[in-house]
This record gives sequence, C-alpha cells and structure tokens, in this order.
Amino acid sequence: MSTLTDLLTHDHRQCDAAFASIEHHLRQPDWAAADNALAAFGRALESHFGAEEEILFPRFEEATGMTQGPTAVMREEHREMRAALARMAAALAAHDAEEYGGEAETLLILMQQHNMKEENILYPLCDRHLHGEREHLGLSIGHRLEGVPQ
Amino acid sequence: MNPTLSYEATPPFRVPLSFFLLACLFGIAAGVLLVIEPRALVSRWTPAALAMTHLITTGFMLLVMLGALFQVLPVVVGARLPAAGRVAPAVLVLCGSGAASLSWGLGTASTLFMQAGGGLLAAAIAVFLALAGWGSRGCADGAGSTRDLRLALIGLAITTALGVMLVLALSRGLAVPILQTTNLHAAWGWLGWGGILLAATSWVVVPMFQITPPYPPGLKRYWAALSFALLILWSIAALAADAPQWAGTTLLAGSAAALALATLGLLRRTRRASPDASFRTLQLAMAAFLGGALCAVIASISAQPWWAMGAGVLVLHGGFVSAISAMLYKIVPFLAWLHLTQARIKAPNMKRLSPDSPVRRQLLLHALTLPALLAAASGNALAGGVAGTLLAAEFTWLLINLLATTARWRRAQAGH
Repeated sequence: MSTLTDLLTHDHRQCDAAFASIEHHLRQPDWAAADNALAAFGRALESHFGAEEEILFPRFEEATGMTQGPTAVMREEHREMRAALARMAAALAAHDAEEYGGEAETLLILMQQHNMKEENILYPLCDRHLHGEREHLGLSIGHRLEGVPQ
Repeated sequence: MNPTLSYEATPPFRVPLSFFLLACLFGIAAGVLLVIEPRALVSRWTPAALAMTHLITTGFMLLVMLGALFQVLPVVVGARLPAAGRVAPAVLVLCGSGAASLSWGLGTASTLFMQAGGGLLAAAIAVFLALAGWGSRGCADGAGSTRDLRLALIGLAITTALGVMLVLALSRGLAVPILQTTNLHAAWGWLGWGGILLAATSWVVVPMFQITPPYPPGLKRYWAALSFALLILWSIAALAADAPQWAGTTLLAGSAAALALATLGLLRRTRRASPDASFRTLQLAMAAFLGGALCAVIASISAQPWWAMGAGVLVLHGGFVSAISAMLYKIVPFLAWLHLTQARIKAPNMKRLSPDSPVRRQLLLHALTLPALLAAASGNALAGGVAGTLLAAEFTWLLINLLATTARWRRAQAGH
C-alpha cells in the first residue's frame, strides 16, 4: 500500500516539474507561455497546500494534539511561499527576467528546504500517527490534488 | 521526540557564517604556503604537502561541513541540538585552532604543534559528535539520509582516531605502521567521512535543487552501507594481513566512481532550463572524483609519485572544494534571506543577495586552478608558484563574495 509520504512526495515532484517549465519558456523568451506556465505552477502549489492545510494537517493535529508544532511551522512556510509566488508573478508581468530569476531562485530554495522537512520528517510522522486511516486520507488527498470537489 | 521543523531550533545565522568565513582563510593559507614552497606537491610526504592537505581538509572542509551540519541536522533529520548556539562557537574555536596548529606542526615538523593540533581537533570533533548523537537519538530515518549521515559521523570519528594515532606515532613513537595507517586515514577521510556525507546530502539535494529524477533506489539504499563495509574490511585486511594495496583501492575507487557517475547521469537529466555556475561546478566535482578514483588506482600499482598527488588534488580540490563552494553559494544567501524574512524584514531576493556574475567568475577561477595544481604536482617550481597564487586568489575571492552577501544582509537589517 502506498503511504502518505509516497503520495505527497510524488506531488512535490509534479510541482517541481511545473516550476521548471516556466524557466524553459523564459529562455526563448515566450512571455505569454511563461505566464500560463506560472499560472499552472501556482494551481499545482495551491492544490498541494490546500490538501495539507485542509485535510492532512488538521487530522495530524487532532491525532497528536500538537497544534503549535511542525504543522504550524509548515503553514507559516506556505505563507512565505505564496508571497514569493506573488513576487514572481509581478516580475513576470513586468517582463523583468532578472528580477524573476532572483525571485524564482528564492522560491526554489524555500520550497525545497520545506519539502525536505516534510518528506524526511513530517510525512513519516503522519504515516505513523495516522496509520489506521491512511487509505481513506490518501483518497481524500488524492482527490483534492486532482481538484475533485470534496 | 517530536521535531519542531523550525529554524528556531538552529543556531543564529552568525554561527554557521563564522565557520564558513574562517574556513576560507585556511584555503588562502594553503595557497600562500604553495607560493612559499612551490615544489611542495612533488610528493605526498613533503612537510608542506602534509600541511597543505590539512589546511584544506581540517581547515576548509571540516569547518564548512561542521558549520553546515549545525544548520542542517535540526531541519533535515529533526535533531534537537541542545545549546547549539553556545556549543558551536566552542567547536569553531577548537576546530580552527586545531587545524592551524596541526598544519603548522606538520609543515615545520614541530611535534608540540602536531600534538596540540591533534588534541584540539579531536576535542572539537568529540564535542560535536556528542551533541549530534544526543540530539538525533530517536530521529526517524527519512529516506535513508539519516542513517547515512550517522555513518558519515562514525566515519569522521574513525578518521580522527587514525589521525590521532599518526600524530602519536610521529611525535611519541607510537608503534603503528605509518604507511598503512596514513592510507587508512586518507581513505576513511575521503570516503568514510567526506564521501558518505556528500552522498547523504546528494540523495536529497541533487534531485530537489537541480530538479532531476531521484537516484536509483538500490544505490541510495546500499551505497553508503556498502562503502562503509568495504572500508572496514579493507582496514582489517590492511592491518592484520599484508593485503595488496591495489585490491582495496580499486574496490573503494569503484564505489566512489559509481556515486560520481550516477550523479553525473542525473545532472544530465535536469529539468532546469539554464543551469547556473553552481550546477557546472557540481558537474566538475563529479568528473574530478572520477579522475581522482582512477589516479588512486594507478597510484596503488605505480611507483611514480605523481599519481598519488593527482588523486589528492582531484579529490580534494576538484571534488570536495568544488562541491562545497557550489553549496556555499546557495546556503549563505538563503540563510541571509531566511533570517531577514523571519525577522519580518523585507529581504532582497537570492540573486540580489548573491549576484550571479562574481559567483560565476570565482567558480571559473576555481576551475582554472585545478589544472594548475595538477601541473604543480610534477614538482615544477614555476607551476607551483602559479597554482599557489591561483589557489590563494580563489579562496580570497570566495571570502569576498561571502562577505559581500553578509554586507547586503546587514544593510537590509540596518535599513529596517
């Protein structure tokens, strides 16, 4: 049976691929295509954050009683990433490739250190604490990631 | 133990930063030493070559690795390092003074400085290992990296123990076979500590930051444990029986080459559109590890001393210094950005904190220094002088670039 760690780690890599495709359009540069790619990346990121903030984190907090622990830190980092994404969008709207490059690099490192903490520590903790309901949670999260209404 | 995943669990920015900045001074010292003794690299046994090796390994590499681990252990493996903010400066002072003293002792054949250096370094490492061991007990094994990090730390302990034995052999006449023990010390340092630490980091960092496919699961699962087991078997064989040097070297070099080839293969499959200078430098590091592994094998069967020096230059400067420089250019601006953001100060983005152009030029100079060092290993004084100058310039420039990022961080803080 696949774990929550597998499911969400796989989605991290999907988000990475969406992030990289913006760079490819900017290299040409095709601003309109880059804009679309950024929108797609933003949607992928938002679905992922949504699945965690609305489904996974509340269940983890309920099961462990930790509301000010790792999930609070992860929510704060989601907030920082949303802000970085908005700055990337502003740079792209201004057709400022250099500014975009700096903001994208910032988001990439922010996102990957965040993913590292989730994949190495938080998701395995979720798999452990939410063992009995893993299958059900996996389905809900899978639907949320695909944008299926709950 | 429940991890917080918060950077509040890590020491303040100035702690890892002071490790990184001090480390650069040791690199500069290695370059200056080569300018003063341009024929130093003619053999691995000259006092100046031994001093240079330890300026780079215990000065530059060890300081950066320890500084980074203070930062990384809490957020990557969820370790809690109690009082890291107070212990880290003590480790910095012990390690820095130990590296300086040991290198001075080896360069001047002063047994007093050798012993002091060995003792200070052993103390620094013991304090760090005690803290890391205590802080990471009960941590979950996330994706194999935690286990491999532990193996690397054991590798560090063994490298240190062998180093202390060598210091005692040279200064107090401790009866150990010097040649075998030196080879074991180098092998444990390169592969057991540096190589496994690099692997444990690469499993996570390469696919994530360079957006590549993951490492092959078999390699990720078994590489570190297998390399570690090979090192143990080779150590027993080398000390107990008179095992042929080439057999052990070939196995260990093969193991290092497998990691380098796998990483080069992944880097070719990056999804990033325009690989930056750090990416190219990581490729250089892996190519140099491959070349170093080949030179090490040839050195084990050839009487020509260049091959051993070539292996040392390729592995240490071409491999580790490349990988570490590339990492520093990512970690320092990110930490500056993170600390500003967490203090609710509007932070300049990564490229404003560390612009591409000086980074690219410094890394290019680093790449050019490598062939000069390889030429200097022939014992040619002119090549040695040029290589020493380039080496000192390379580390000075690295220091300047890191200081410039620090200055931008301070300006953003002050402007708030």
